[in-house]
Amino acid sequence: MFDWPLLQQNAPLLLGALWVTLQVSIAALVFGFVIGIVVGSLRLSPIPLLRRLGGAYIFVFRGIPLLVQLLFIYYFLPRVGLPNVSPTVAAIIGLSLAAGAYIAEIMRGGFRAIPGGQLEAAGLLGMSDAQMLMRIRVPQAVRLTLPALVNEMILLIKASSLVSVVGLADLTRTAQNLAASDYMFVQDYLMLAGFYCLINVPLAYAASLLERRLKERTA
Amino acid sequence: MTFDPSIFTDHLGDIGLGFLVTLGTWSSGVLLGLALGMLIAVAQVFGNNLMRVPLRVFIELIRSTPFLVQLFLVYYGGPSFGISLDPIPAGILGLGVYGGVYFAEIFRTGFQSVARGQLEAADCLGITRLQSIWRIQLPQMLVMILPALVNMVTVLCKETAVLSIITIPELTMVLTGIGSETFAFVETLLMLCIGYLILVELCSRLGMFLETRVGRFMSRQPR
Amino acid sequence: MNSLLIPGGNVPAPTRETTREPLDEPMKTNGEQSSVLTLSKVGKSFGNLRVLKGIDLQVQRSEVVCLIGPSGSGKSTLLRSMAFLEEYDEGAIRIEGQLLGWQDTDKGRRRAPQAQINQVRRNVGMVFQQFNLWPHMTALGNVCEALRRVRKLSAGDAKQRGMAMLDKVGLAHKAEAYPAQLSGGQQQRVAIARALAMEPHIMLFDEPTSALDPELVGEVLQVMKTLAKEGMTMVVVTHEMGFAAQVADSVIFLDQGEIVARGTPRQIFHNAEQPRLQQFLQNYLDRNAFWQDAKG
Repeated sequence: MFDWPLLQQNAPLLLGALWVTLQVSIAALVFGFVIGIVVGSLRLSPIPLLRRLGGAYIFVFRGIPLLVQLLFIYYFLPRVGLPNVSPTVAAIIGLSLAAGAYIAEIMRGGFRAIPGGQLEAAGLLGMSDAQMLMRIRVPQAVRLTLPALVNEMILLIKASSLVSVVGLADLTRTAQNLAASDYMFVQDYLMLAGFYCLINVPLAYAASLLERRLKERTA
Repeated sequence: MTFDPSIFTDHLGDIGLGFLVTLGTWSSGVLLGLALGMLIAVAQVFGNNLMRVPLRVFIELIRSTPFLVQLFLVYYGGPSFGISLDPIPAGILGLGVYGGVYFAEIFRTGFQSVARGQLEAADCLGITRLQSIWRIQLPQMLVMILPALVNMVTVLCKETAVLSIITIPELTMVLTGIGSETFAFVETLLMLCIGYLILVELCSRLGMFLETRVGRFMSRQPR
Repeated sequence: MNSLLIPGGNVPAPTRETTREPLDEPMKTNGEQSSVLTLSKVGKSFGNLRVLKGIDLQVQRSEVVCLIGPSGSGKSTLLRSMAFLEEYDEGAIRIEGQLLGWQDTDKGRRRAPQAQINQVRRNVGMVFQQFNLWPHMTALGNVCEALRRVRKLSAGDAKQRGMAMLDKVGLAHKAEAYPAQLSGGQQQRVAIARALAMEPHIMLFDEPTSALDPELVGEVLQVMKTLAKEGMTMVVVTHEMGFAAQVADSVIFLDQGEIVARGTPRQIFHNAEQPRLQQFLQNYLDRNAFWQDAKG
């Protein structure tokens, strides 16, 4: 069933596409992280309007399927005056906006888990809100939610399989093209699955290790 | 940008059909997933190692790969194994397996949350494994895992959009198709977004309703 | 005689509050047929740790056997093995003559199918330290559950028998209460009723009062004394030396997985010879005779 020469021929192509997928996913994680901190802070704001704004963002970007969000980006970026955006940028924008919503919830949990005393002490020492956010709340929240964040990375890598709708030749799209030309569906798609596992299985293992270590430290 | 609502009235039939396909594949996928998930969870918690190890590998595979890739394997790769499915059954199978694996993890944590001692007492009294699961574990588990189950059901609803890629005529495919024909992208995509938001909101409302009802039912066991 | 027990002290002189003759020696064994429970050379290991070594034990009909010993001595493991909640590795446990948990085939010994295990231990009832009631069912529900699922009684018959059992332990008025609404002593009595409902030939008690507040211990011990008086065969792992002294026909002292001493309560408590047993009893007395060194 397996055509080994063909497999060896296809592998480098998929490897290159894997790199594209990783770039886009990592970029989306970084931007999504920034969005997540902003929206997460909004959700914990004392001002009701800001809380509702944050809530609305999360509702919209977690409620609409990612595929639909990417289609939206694809059809609307030209209309709002950005017709020549590269597929890569479009993909990163789409993934970041969605990731931001999930990371916001993760961060919100992380922020709430920080013992209040730390912030009181910081306030008494004269730190501004912004300083507190960047120097205490974010690092602590990240430490506490690291397993969830690694999980989010895994989800992003899987979600990136949809970016072909904005025209980006990611891992999945490349495999699709290969299968369309050589008709070796099982082989090509199993290879595809294999490449995703290559990245995600170690990540999942890392996440569970982190989770265990976190439990030990806080127990 | 113009907004022309007549797009909807012109294509109401197609849109309605697409909506039904979405609902149908979603509910079938959820049912299949719940059944599969329960089977897998029971095998993992009560089975022997011969069953557990291959199951663990399978679960990790499904959780590490995108849903779309699994769909491709079922729909395009199936025929090589003699399983030639139409798009909709392939989609339901894909959803069922994908959801099933996640449901299995939820059920598994539920089983493990019930104190072992209660099962030992049942064991000593001669109550069979199956009876134990049905009468002792599930009733206590249900209240605890309901939020996670509802969450997963919502995830599956959103994944039905991906089914459009293997040509299943659900809501996304129908509306984007109309959009391409009529160039009315604003209207169709907007409706698509609103449609899913409504479904997701309905799902979480239903979940909250179930949580309160199940909670009330459990504390009124007739005996 | 090396009597550790000061007259007028802490452990009452052993008597049997029963209609049967007071016993000064352990019941003679009449061969395996008449014993309800027989253990021959039973052993168990957890990995490299041997928790039970060469246990030989026979329990006759209507006999009350108390297992005492320090923590880690293996007494709970031994008791649980009698219900096959722990798989013993060596030797044989027979309930009314039938081998429990294992099947001897020409290819050696292998684990019996679950149905066979249930068959052999259907006349064994067990009461746990943590009660293990099912919290989502009422007291009556707990008692009737096995009657309906295992004995296949109708709802009416099960309820009748269930209420009779609850009445026997003095909790008929709490039939519709949930475990969370009952005290520890009440919960344990419901657990006893639940086991009794199945009409066992032998009852196993795994430290039934250890998880109870002291003032609730009495009500459970009272139920157990009544059971003993009615002739129930009982094996009890306990720290309640008073109960062992008053109710047991034989007391077995377990230490580090082996039976170090066995005899009547009088022999064990009054005439303890083995140093480990003396040490154990002295520790017990030190803990419980607190008023001996009272200041002032």
